[in-house]
Amino acid sequence: MTRLIRLLIVDDEERFVETLSKRFAARGFYVEGANSGPDALAILNQKPFDVVLLDLRMPGMDGLQTLREIRSAQPLLQTVMLSGNASINAAVEGMRLGASDYLLKPADIEEVIAKVEEAFEKKRLKEKDLSGRNEA
Amino acid sequence: MKLSGFIRKVFGLGQWRPVEARLNPQAALHLRYLNFKELTTSNDEILEVVAGLERRLDSDSLFGMGYVRSRCVTAATHAYRMVQNLNAISSRRYPELLLVFGDVQRAMERALDRGRARSEGPLTYSLRAVDLSLAENVGGKSANLGELKNGAKLPVPEGFAISTSAYHSFLEANQLGDEIRVRLLSLDIDDLENLDHTSGSIRRLIRKTPLPETLEAAIQGAYQELCASLGHSPRVALRSSAIGEDGHLSFAGQYVSLLNVIPSKIIDAYREVIAGLYTPQAIYYRAINGIPNEDIPMGVACLAMVEASASGVACSLDPNHPASGNMVINGAWGLGVATVGGSVSPDTWDVAKGPEPSIKRASLGAKETCMEPLQEGGIAPRPLPENLQTAFCLTSGQVKDLALLIMAVRAHYDAEQEVEWALDSSGRFFLMQSRPLHFSVKAESGNEPALEADGHPLVLRGASAATGCRCGPVFISMRPDDIGGFPEGAVLVARHSSPEYVKVMNRAAAIVTDVGAIAGHMASLAREFAIPAVFDAKEATTILADGEIVTVDGTRGAVYRGRAESLLDDPGQRRPRKMTGTPVYKVLQEVASFIVPLNLTDPRSPDFFPRGCKTIHDIARFAHERAFEEMFRLSDRVSKNAYQAMVLEARLPFELCLIDLGGGLSRPFGSGRVKPSEVISRPTAALLKGMSDAKLRWWEPKPVSVRGLVSVATESLLGPGDEFGQRRLGDRSYAIIADAYCNFNSRIGYHFTAVDAYCCDTASRNYISFRFKGGAADEFRRANRCLLIEKILHRLDFQVERQGDLVNARFRKFPPEALLKRLEELGRLVVATRQLDMRMGASAAIEWYVEAFFKGNYLFDPGAAEENGSKGAPP
Repeated sequence: MTRLIRLLIVDDEERFVETLSKRFAARGFYVEGANSGPDALAILNQKPFDVVLLDLRMPGMDGLQTLREIRSAQPLLQTVMLSGNASINAAVEGMRLGASDYLLKPADIEEVIAKVEEAFEKKRLKEKDLSGRNEA
Repeated sequence: MKLSGFIRKVFGLGQWRPVEARLNPQAALHLRYLNFKELTTSNDEILEVVAGLERRLDSDSLFGMGYVRSRCVTAATHAYRMVQNLNAISSRRYPELLLVFGDVQRAMERALDRGRARSEGPLTYSLRAVDLSLAENVGGKSANLGELKNGAKLPVPEGFAISTSAYHSFLEANQLGDEIRVRLLSLDIDDLENLDHTSGSIRRLIRKTPLPETLEAAIQGAYQELCASLGHSPRVALRSSAIGEDGHLSFAGQYVSLLNVIPSKIIDAYREVIAGLYTPQAIYYRAINGIPNEDIPMGVACLAMVEASASGVACSLDPNHPASGNMVINGAWGLGVATVGGSVSPDTWDVAKGPEPSIKRASLGAKETCMEPLQEGGIAPRPLPENLQTAFCLTSGQVKDLALLIMAVRAHYDAEQEVEWALDSSGRFFLMQSRPLHFSVKAESGNEPALEADGHPLVLRGASAATGCRCGPVFISMRPDDIGGFPEGAVLVARHSSPEYVKVMNRAAAIVTDVGAIAGHMASLAREFAIPAVFDAKEATTILADGEIVTVDGTRGAVYRGRAESLLDDPGQRRPRKMTGTPVYKVLQEVASFIVPLNLTDPRSPDFFPRGCKTIHDIARFAHERAFEEMFRLSDRVSKNAYQAMVLEARLPFELCLIDLGGGLSRPFGSGRVKPSEVISRPTAALLKGMSDAKLRWWEPKPVSVRGLVSVATESLLGPGDEFGQRRLGDRSYAIIADAYCNFNSRIGYHFTAVDAYCCDTASRNYISFRFKGGAADEFRRANRCLLIEKILHRLDFQVERQGDLVNARFRKFPPEALLKRLEELGRLVVATRQLDMRMGASAAIEWYVEAFFKGNYLFDPGAAEENGSKGAPP
C-alpha cells in the first residue's frame, strides 16, 4: 500500500524550494524542485510525479496558468496550491481548475505534509477507480 | 409519519436516481469516501474560521487586514471544496449551491475591497498651492503646513508636497504593494522578534525598489522649481505625511523625518520615508488602532531646510493641567529632533496667554548635546559647550513672540494644537508642523505629591507627562531596542523617551523616564494610550531596580516604592483600547456577516435548501448535512451496490446509521439492522460501549432539579418515546467504520459532535480527534458547557483547544488499550452532555459537574451526588 510519494515543488523563491525539499526528503518523499512554470512542465513531461506543490505568484507564467497546463496534460496528477497571495478570487480559481487544496504561506510543515499525503491518497484512489473501469 | 411525508416532498427524495454502477465498487466507494472525508475536513476548517472570527469580534485581541484576508480565503476555498465534494458524492445533485457560493464569494470580495479607492491627481504640489482641502491628496502634515502658510499666512518654510498618487504609483510599480502584503501575512505583532524581522524585510524591499521614471522626474522637477523660487539649491527636510496622521490619532513620531538631505539624495530619502511606514513601532501602532497595514496612503512633505539655532514643541494648552489655562513650550538648542524625540531634557516654559503673554514658570533643562546638520548631509548630536548647557535656548522676549505665534495657530484652527517650531539663525520663527492636541484622559490640576502614601515612600519626582496612577513591577530599558520580553502590566522605566516604545504601550502599566519632554511624541502617545507617565525623573533608571513594585502617579509626577493602594486608579476607569469601530474591525464585521451567521439550523425546515444559504457557514452546514444523507442514501437505494448502511439496534438517544468500509462488521450485508455485538471495528465498539452505558439513564424522566437545566429548545424537541425510550424524532447520527477506524458524527440543531479515531496495534499511528460545537443556548451557558467538556477531556489526557463554543481535542500515539478506554469515556460524554444544557452560576460549579461525570452521575443529579459523597449541589 505504501509507496514513495513523488513530489514536485514549484516556486520562484529558490531558497524556499530548497528548504522545503530537504524537509520532505527527510520524511521519505522523492522530491524535485522547479523555479518556474515552464521548468515544472518540462520536468513533468519527462518523469512521473504524484503531487505538485505549486506557488501561485511567479513571474512570467503564473501558478494558475501552470495549473491549467498541468491539468490538461495529466488530469490525475494532484496539485496543492501554496501561496502568500491572500486573494479569494485566485484561490477559488485554483480550486476550480482542479487543485486539491490551497494553503496560505506561511504554512506549518506538518500541515503541508498532511495535505500532500491526502492529495496522494486521492490520486491513488482515482487511479484504482479508473483501472477498475478499464478492466471492464 | 406526516412529517416524513413532508420531508419527502420538500427534498424530492422520491426523485432519487441511482448512481451509475461502478465496476470497481470498492474503489468507487473509497473515492466517494475520500470526497466525503475532504468535505468533513473542510467543514472543520470552516468551523474553526467561524469560531476565530466570533472571538475576534467580541474580544480585544489585535488583528490586521492580513488576518481578515487569510480567514476569508480559507473560508472561501473550503466552502468551494465542500460544494464540489457534495456534488461528487451526489452525482451533481446540487448545481445551484455553486451559484449561491458565487454570490457569497463576491459579497466577501466587495467587502474586502471597500476603502481601497485610489486618489488621482498630480504627483507633486508646490506647498504654496496646498491647504487643508487637499488632505486626501497630500496627507495630513503637508495639508496642515499648506494651511498654515496659505490659509493663516503664518511662517512656514518653502517646499513641495509629494502626493499620495505618487505613493500609489510607486507601490504599483514592480508589484511592490503585493510583495509587501505577502510579507505582512506572516506578521505576528505580539512577537517582538517577528515584528522586527518583518519590518526589516519590508523596509529593505522598499529601499531597493526603483521609482517609476515619471515619479522620479516629477520629484526632481518640483525640487528645481523650489530652487528657482529661492534663488539657491537648498538642502531639504523630508517628512512623512500619511493620510490619517495628525488627525484623530496622532501617530506621534511613528513615521520618519529626514533632515538636512543633500539634493542628490532626495529620491533615496523619499524611499526611506515610505519605508518608515513599516518601522516596527508604526506597524504596531496601526495594529492596535485597527488601521489596515496595506494601502496606507503616504504623502511626503519636502521642505527647504531651516538651520535652526533652537527648536522644540509647544502645546497651546497644558495637556495635563488644562485648568491652568497656560501654554507649555519645550525647547532645546539646535534641531528639533532632540526635543520631540526625547534625547535631551528640554527647557520648559509655562506661559499665561493673552495679548501680553507672561511667563509663569521657566525651568532649565539638562541639555548636554544638540542636533546639528552635517556637511555631507544628515544630522548628528554634538556636545554643547558648558555655557550653553546652563543657558535657556530662548530669551524671554523670544518666548513671548513664540507664544503669540502659537496663539495665532490655535486661533486659526479654533482648537488646541501641538506645534513644532524652529528658530533660524536670523532670529525668525518657523512652524514645522501642527496637529490637534491630545489631552490626558483624566486631566486635572496636580497638587504637590505627598512624601508618603499608605506608608510607601516617595522616591522620585518628575514632570507629569500623562495623568493617572497605576502600579506594577519595574522593567528598566536603557535603549528602545532592549525591550524584548516586556511583561504585561510592568512599569516601563526608560533612560530616554522615544516613540519606539509604542511597541510595549499596550502592555505597560505606567511609564517613567530619566529624560524626555512632556510635549514630545512619547508623552502624546502615553496620553493617547491613557498610561500614567512621569518624565524627566532624572535618575529613575539608577534608583529603581528591575522587578521591584512601584506606584506611578502621573498626575502629580511622583513615583512611590511599593503598592500605594489609595492612590491607584479604579481599574474600571482605565479605558481599554478596543478594535471596535476601527477601520479593520469594520471590514472584519462586514466580511464576518457573510461567513459567521448560521441561518440553516433545522434540516427539516423548508428553508433548508441551497437558495436558503446566505453565508459560508450555511453552505458548510447544508453541504455537511446533505453529504451524510447522500453517503447513506446510496446504500438505501441501490440494492446491488457493494456497500450498505445499517441501523444499529441499540439503546441510544439517537438513531445510528453505519457504513462499513471493510472489516467493521462481522457480517458483510444483511437486513437493515445490525446488533452491537456484530460491530467488530475496535474503536467503534468501544465508543458504542460507552454510549450504551446503563448508568447514563438518559431515557428516565429527569429529576426535578435537573429538569430546570434542560434548555427549552431541547425539551420542546423531545418527541414521544419509541421502542428504545425517549428519543428526539428524526435524530440521526452516522458512523463510517472499518476494522481499525471510526468516524462518528452527530448533528442536532446547533449541536455538533464528531469523533474520528484510528486504532491499531502500532501506537504511533493511533489517534482520536474529538470535536464539539454547541449552540442553542445563550452564550454564557454555551461557554460553560464547553468549559465542562474541556475539563473532562483534560482529565482524560487529551490535548484540548477551546475557542468560544468550539472544542477541539486530540489524543495521539498511544497503545490501543489507552485509546479504547478514552473512546468509551467519549461515548459517555457525548450522551451525557447532550442531556444537559447547563445553567451554572459560578465557574466553581463546573468542577462539581466534572466530579459528577467521573463518579458516574451522568444525569448530574445533585441528590445522587450526595449519596456518592460529593459535596453540595449545583447552584
